[in-house]
Amino acid sequence: MTVDAEQLGEHVPIVLVIDDCEDVHRLLTARLRNEAMELVCEISGEVGLERIHQLQPSLVVLDLEMPGMDGFEVLRRMKDDISTSDIPVVVLSGMQSPNDKVTAFDLGAVDYITKPFDLMELRVRLRAALKMRHLIQMLAQRAQIDGLTGLWNRAHFDERWSEEVKRAERSGSPLSLAVFDLDHFKQVNDTYGHPAGDAVLQGVARLLQQVARQADVACRYGGEEFVVIMPDTPPEQALNLCERVRVALSDTDWPGKPSREVTISAGVAGSNGPTSTGRDEWIEIADKNLYRAKSQGRNRACMTHVGGAGPRLADAG
Amino acid sequence: MRDEQEHPADEPLVSEFASDPDMIEIVEYFVEELPKRVQAIRSAVTDSDVQSLRTLAHQLKGAAPGYGFAAIGDAAGVLEASLRVSDGSIEGVMGQVEDLASLCQRVRVR
Repeated sequence: MTVDAEQLGEHVPIVLVIDDCEDVHRLLTARLRNEAMELVCEISGEVGLERIHQLQPSLVVLDLEMPGMDGFEVLRRMKDDISTSDIPVVVLSGMQSPNDKVTAFDLGAVDYITKPFDLMELRVRLRAALKMRHLIQMLAQRAQIDGLTGLWNRAHFDERWSEEVKRAERSGSPLSLAVFDLDHFKQVNDTYGHPAGDAVLQGVARLLQQVARQADVACRYGGEEFVVIMPDTPPEQALNLCERVRVALSDTDWPGKPSREVTISAGVAGSNGPTSTGRDEWIEIADKNLYRAKSQGRNRACMTHVGGAGPRLADAG
Repeated sequence: MRDEQEHPADEPLVSEFASDPDMIEIVEYFVEELPKRVQAIRSAVTDSDVQSLRTLAHQLKGAAPGYGFAAIGDAAGVLEASLRVSDGSIEGVMGQVEDLASLCQRVRVR
């Protein structure tokens, strides 16, 4: 649903060592025993690359000279693959020539340690690489979080929504999208001031986080608009979720603030199975339903099916 | 390379990590396995297998210092470098092989 500690990398980082020399495995395992990292060792480029995909480690320590697939090739393939291109690689190699170093950095390595290596130096270099990785991840995530509500922001929605539409199209699984818009929000701001308006936006965000399930993606779309992506969710179920949000919000007391109730309208687009509807078309359909909910008197949720056997309407509220 | 006169031929060669509790277990392992490595080096010499000899020397050069045996790493490095200049002649590096082997014979855990 929203951003949790694990996504921010608070768990123990996995460091994958790929080296054809088992002495290196033994030495690193002994020397890094007390570090805050989980060490996994592999003996060849081929197996190592497989493990990178499987484990998604926080850091790869890579030997260059290996029989079969060498380190340069592992690095090249990692950087060519979007699912592994962000994983930092520290090269650990007996090759000392500046050319090899330049090639490794050109291919995307973040550091280069020559063998025989000093274990103290190696330890601090790995720490530095992990710290850098952690900071970069934090920045990337911060750039996708809405400052006021803590929900994902519009940039994250745009990215995730494209992915989910493609995924549903491939797998033929259900998918739903809900668009929420607070009713008469401008009046809240005008009557009670912007701090009160902000409190309402934060309250809605909290509600969405409570109601959304683990796989749902709740975002602030902008202003007083929110969206929730619901993977593997049929439209009827999505409409249900909107109803719970709507009812809970109109039942909320706003201490010392608006004496009138705050309400929200929602539009849902959803499909039960395979559809080739495009990402923007989905949003248009959800928006039309939101408009319908507004024009029918607000404080309600409207839904239509996407793709398949033509639109079927269903409303609630 | 280390000055051989500091180490008479029969004086034990002890790991510089012999008293490091983190390391002692793998140092023991290395010392136990070392005769096998020397044996492999000798077999490569007998078979005139320059490629294997180079690989074994290269691995020992990288590994030995990590276990606290810098002198062995140095000797293996000398052997590797000699192979590079001897144009694949095993005869030309016999001296370096013997230097390395006699160093290895002096190795003790503590």
